[in-house]
Amino acid sequence: MPPRIQISITGGKGGTGKSFVAVNLATLLAKKHRVLLADLDLEAPNDHILLGLERLENEEPVKIFLPFINYNKCTRCGVCVKVCDTGALLMPPRSPPIVFPRLCSGCMACYYTCPYNAIIEGGHIIAYSYLTHVRKHGVEFKLLTGILRPGEEHVPPGLAIVKDKARRISDDILLVDTGAGTGNTISIALQYSDLVIAVTEPTPLGLHDLESILEVVEGLGYRSWVVINRYGIGDIEKHLEVFKKYRVERYFKIPYSMDAVESYVKGIPIVVYKPSSPVSRSFYEIHRALEDEVL
Amino acid sequence: MPTRIAFATNKGGLEDNIADRFGRAPTFTIVDIDDEGRILSVRVVENPGAKAGSGAGIRAVQKLVDLGVEIVVGPSPGPNAYMALQQAGIKIFSLPGLTVKEAFERVLKELRK
Repeated sequence: MPPRIQISITGGKGGTGKSFVAVNLATLLAKKHRVLLADLDLEAPNDHILLGLERLENEEPVKIFLPFINYNKCTRCGVCVKVCDTGALLMPPRSPPIVFPRLCSGCMACYYTCPYNAIIEGGHIIAYSYLTHVRKHGVEFKLLTGILRPGEEHVPPGLAIVKDKARRISDDILLVDTGAGTGNTISIALQYSDLVIAVTEPTPLGLHDLESILEVVEGLGYRSWVVINRYGIGDIEKHLEVFKKYRVERYFKIPYSMDAVESYVKGIPIVVYKPSSPVSRSFYEIHRALEDEVL
Repeated sequence: MPTRIAFATNKGGLEDNIADRFGRAPTFTIVDIDDEGRILSVRVVENPGAKAGSGAGIRAVQKLVDLGVEIVVGPSPGPNAYMALQQAGIKIFSLPGLTVKEAFERVLKELRK
């Protein structure tokens, strides 16, 4: 069933604390709601590490289409090679086409355009998804993790499949944790968001990448909030201008604190590890705003 | 029987240098030679791999196959291009850092052996 509400955590820059925010909000939201946390950072998923989980459960291969050529039907007409957008097909002299699996994005253009039905539908595993039932830290929720096979050329087709699964199996709140960046892998993760929370930091790098991601979020037409993590280590004046420019509805500050580092290292969400920490109090504030204005 | 040799080049032509990359070399300089190694013709073709978003090596090799090239001279090809050249039965000479002329002389020497 599609979720009632999808909240996506993103940020542009890597290392701002997207996953840190995601696991803490998941922990707080799970007290009252049924939550599915989807770790859609397929190239470096680590929500499970921040949650201190020992293992991921319910492995499922993520398969995309891969062409197989029926040599009895192929006439070497060359249409498949011409339509291939990723250069994954080669027609050697005097032989039917050969496929380079790593280059294939699974788009199926060759399959549909072959005039001789000489292309057989095969599959190629590019990632694995894991559905883990988290029963820890006094709460219960589901964690869906996508992990790309190292070295794969195409992330978006795999991410789209894991995202579809997340929407299919969530029942109330879907909390999406995206990877860093602003490309189409991030757009796919953000799709259908009711609210996007961009995590940034008071540094020139955080500012620059925040502006990029807010441009994407505005282009997609989603509501946006910002969390300034490590507040106190630098200026946020220019951040505030950017919030106005991109119509950011609200922003929150998470103070720079060793508490956060300790919880990070221990693999325990800070709202559980140190509920009285100023960092935890920031999360209560975000949580309250979510309950009041989004849920 | 003439032999068709392709050089991975920048602007192209015998005065040019061998390109630094194979799949994304801007051009291929196609040289036909006779059995004595005399040059019959020289022409420059664009490499579709140069501007490809993905699969540059494969697109470059497909172009060479379509042109009927038997020998290719360039820098070391990448893994995809290498596999494709093997499958296509095109002979590879890796001669990075040379001018086309120098590379051509080296290839002739090898062919005469």
